[in-house]
Amino acid sequence: MIEFDKFTLKNGLRVIVHRDETTPMAAVNILYNIGAKDENPERTGFAHLFEHLMFGGSINIPNYDEPLQMVGGDNNAWTNNDITNYYLTVPKANLETAFWLESDRMLSLAFSEKSLEVQRSVVIEEFKQRYFNQPYGDVWLHLRPLAYKEHPYQWPTIGKSIDHIEKATLEEVKDFFFHHYAPNNAIMVVAGNVDTQQVKELSEKWFGPIERRDIQKRNLPVEPTQNEFRSKRIDSNVPFDAIYMAFHMGKRMDEDFYIIDLVSDVLSNGQSSRIFQSLVKEKNLFSSIDAYITGEFEPGLFLITGKLVEGVAMETAEAAIWKELNKIATIKVDEYELQKVKNKVESSLVFSEISYLNKAMNLATHELLGDADDINKEVEKYQKVSVADILNSSAKVFRKENCSTLYYYSKK
Amino acid sequence: MENLYRNTAPKFKTVDSVEILPSLKHSLSNNIPVHIINGGSQDVVKIEFVFNAGIWQQKKPLIATLTNTMLNEGTTSLTASDIAEKFDFLGAHIGFSTSKHDASVTLYSLKKHFSETLALLADLIKNSIFPEKEFKTILTNKKQQYQIDHQKTNVLAKEKFTEMIYGKNHPYSNIYDSSEFDNCSLQEVKEFYKKHYTPDNCHIIIAGKVDDNVLTEVEDLFGKNKWTNQIQSIDFDHKIIGSKEKSAFVCKGDAVQSTIRIGRKLFTKTHPDYTGMQLLNLILGGYFGSRLMQNIREDKGFTYGINSIILSHLKDGHFTIVTEVGAEVCKAAVQEIFIEVKRLREELVSEDELTLVKNYISGEMLRNLDSPFALSDGLKGNLPFGLDNTYFAQFIKDLKAVTAKRIMELANEYLQLDDLYLIVCGPKECEEAVTFPK
Repeated sequence: MIEFDKFTLKNGLRVIVHRDETTPMAAVNILYNIGAKDENPERTGFAHLFEHLMFGGSINIPNYDEPLQMVGGDNNAWTNNDITNYYLTVPKANLETAFWLESDRMLSLAFSEKSLEVQRSVVIEEFKQRYFNQPYGDVWLHLRPLAYKEHPYQWPTIGKSIDHIEKATLEEVKDFFFHHYAPNNAIMVVAGNVDTQQVKELSEKWFGPIERRDIQKRNLPVEPTQNEFRSKRIDSNVPFDAIYMAFHMGKRMDEDFYIIDLVSDVLSNGQSSRIFQSLVKEKNLFSSIDAYITGEFEPGLFLITGKLVEGVAMETAEAAIWKELNKIATIKVDEYELQKVKNKVESSLVFSEISYLNKAMNLATHELLGDADDINKEVEKYQKVSVADILNSSAKVFRKENCSTLYYYSKK
Repeated sequence: MENLYRNTAPKFKTVDSVEILPSLKHSLSNNIPVHIINGGSQDVVKIEFVFNAGIWQQKKPLIATLTNTMLNEGTTSLTASDIAEKFDFLGAHIGFSTSKHDASVTLYSLKKHFSETLALLADLIKNSIFPEKEFKTILTNKKQQYQIDHQKTNVLAKEKFTEMIYGKNHPYSNIYDSSEFDNCSLQEVKEFYKKHYTPDNCHIIIAGKVDDNVLTEVEDLFGKNKWTNQIQSIDFDHKIIGSKEKSAFVCKGDAVQSTIRIGRKLFTKTHPDYTGMQLLNLILGGYFGSRLMQNIREDKGFTYGINSIILSHLKDGHFTIVTEVGAEVCKAAVQEIFIEVKRLREELVSEDELTLVKNYISGEMLRNLDSPFALSDGLKGNLPFGLDNTYFAQFIKDLKAVTAKRIMELANEYLQLDDLYLIVCGPKECEEAVTFPK
């Protein structure tokens, strides 16, 4: 049970406070409700590039990092297709420094031309490092547009291509800031060795004076139902063949989200899971294989990704995966197997609550999706899943016409 | 309402001392040392068995790692899939890791299932049988992973670097060819297990909710009787042979970025200059505000990241700067790195910068040592040196006493151009980047 207090400032900023006395630290996590899905299709990668610019100085504070480091703090941020999340940790006595820094960059950035120029280069190097300088690194650049034809999930957070990043202008940066970064489009969680009264006072003092802004209304294209099997072949300079299968599934807040999450666990969570035991250990078809869900807020993907053992034919490997998928979609899992994955979920939640920062991020996400208190209802939602649920949801998802497959061949 | 001065930083406190949850030392009846860190908010236990069974102790490549990994693959009473099934059902996680001087098995368990999970762990450690089929599967899969990893410029550059400073056959470089996977015999693995996974060759670290029941269970399973494996292991000696050549280029034709490594062999953490060098390293490339990060990334935009580290193995150590940069800026990046090193030799670090890094690292210690699990990792690193976690408090105290003058002296003593090795791995056109400044 994660206990917390919640209040909202007049400008719409939602604040959640979670006290954890076992740490001498305090975390401040600010989630902005803006992600890669909100980008112009001609300027993809912008939300993430913008995240970099949030460290390039704000209206009254020329350097974000130095004052934080001076008080023993550390910070980072990440962007995904749905949200942009900023977090920092400081020794508890220096909590006010965090409020000072975070409120100023919510108020306004410095919008420096130099920062934009440098961060464009940095992000381009990041693009290269993660997507082009790693074997199999470009998979998402191929798989997302194969699975999505209309919805903005068709591009990865980093963007469709490097030249989109190159084109970003300072005007676009300003426009983006004032339409998406605002107290009424953010959720702040303060967690660790803190108390609510202190957080209330600091929030009013530093964030209270920031005015509400008009947030650009979100109007995302709906992905049409996929009606036929899609595939694409890549020939690349990698040592082994690989296969990537993507199935459409529901959104994060759908009833069956927890069911499908458990389906992925039955298939591939832990060494006793089905596809690891059958396809890696018994049949020696794959050197590694994984099944997981993207867990995105809008209708997401169920993925199966595997690297083939040298000498195994692509068709054989693919057929073996389908055999496992057909099995879970036609034969009920037994109660024992379902209980096992539920136990694993429960256990990982207990372990994840060791970290105050982890709790802060999860509280923010749950609040955005509906209610921070849902964090305490997750175990129950998993426990409610039945063997019939697993069967029905699997049958719904694992259909050939719902599948996009990327065949990634080794050129050697 | 009070006035808001947004351009002035609020008052702050520096972290003067780091309070660290102490570890208690205990012995099982057969003298296995047990270190206990009791605390935390969750009802969970982490127990780690550390054996002197690392790369250092093996006679052939891969043997230590394979032995460690294979512990999960079957015992006299359970198959690999039985083991996986049981751990998964109990929501436990078991981890295996092999490092330079030791190999360990770590169990993360809910407190309520600790008896059962510990009994399983005991079976793995004491009664492993190393089945042939599982061995072949693991070899195939590890070989493929090796081949994938060796497509990466950072892996290739790292191998070249450690080869040049420690020598190709030294355990600290741990370099081997992919054909080694075809030459591994199960017999050697079994022998390594018999010789090294013994009560007189291990210690135990327990963290989390550790009460008397936990200790009784550990005593019952590991302390009462002699284990079946009882052969005293002997230590090996390995000589370091550094390369006379100071630079190298490793060609990776299709790479779009190059990895740069610049560094040298240094010393272990018991050396009197270790703490001072850690502070120097922090300033140069040890955190986001470091000079290299500010220059190469935040000013020039050459890279997504650049870091430097000082790594202390048990018997020796090294210092290295690492980054991945666009091929077209590789040469310029190398020169900028040398400029930053030169600045350390020739200019005193300002008092402001010195204060900032000292404050930052104090916060970092507080942040990184705030949970029993994190402290158990710290302890694992300290024990081989005859230290416990009180080392961290002393480290911070000593670090805060290091002066700007001392940092300049250290830079001159250890970071002359002649001391440094330079390795670049990337496309052909980056070969010309392998140049020391005049």
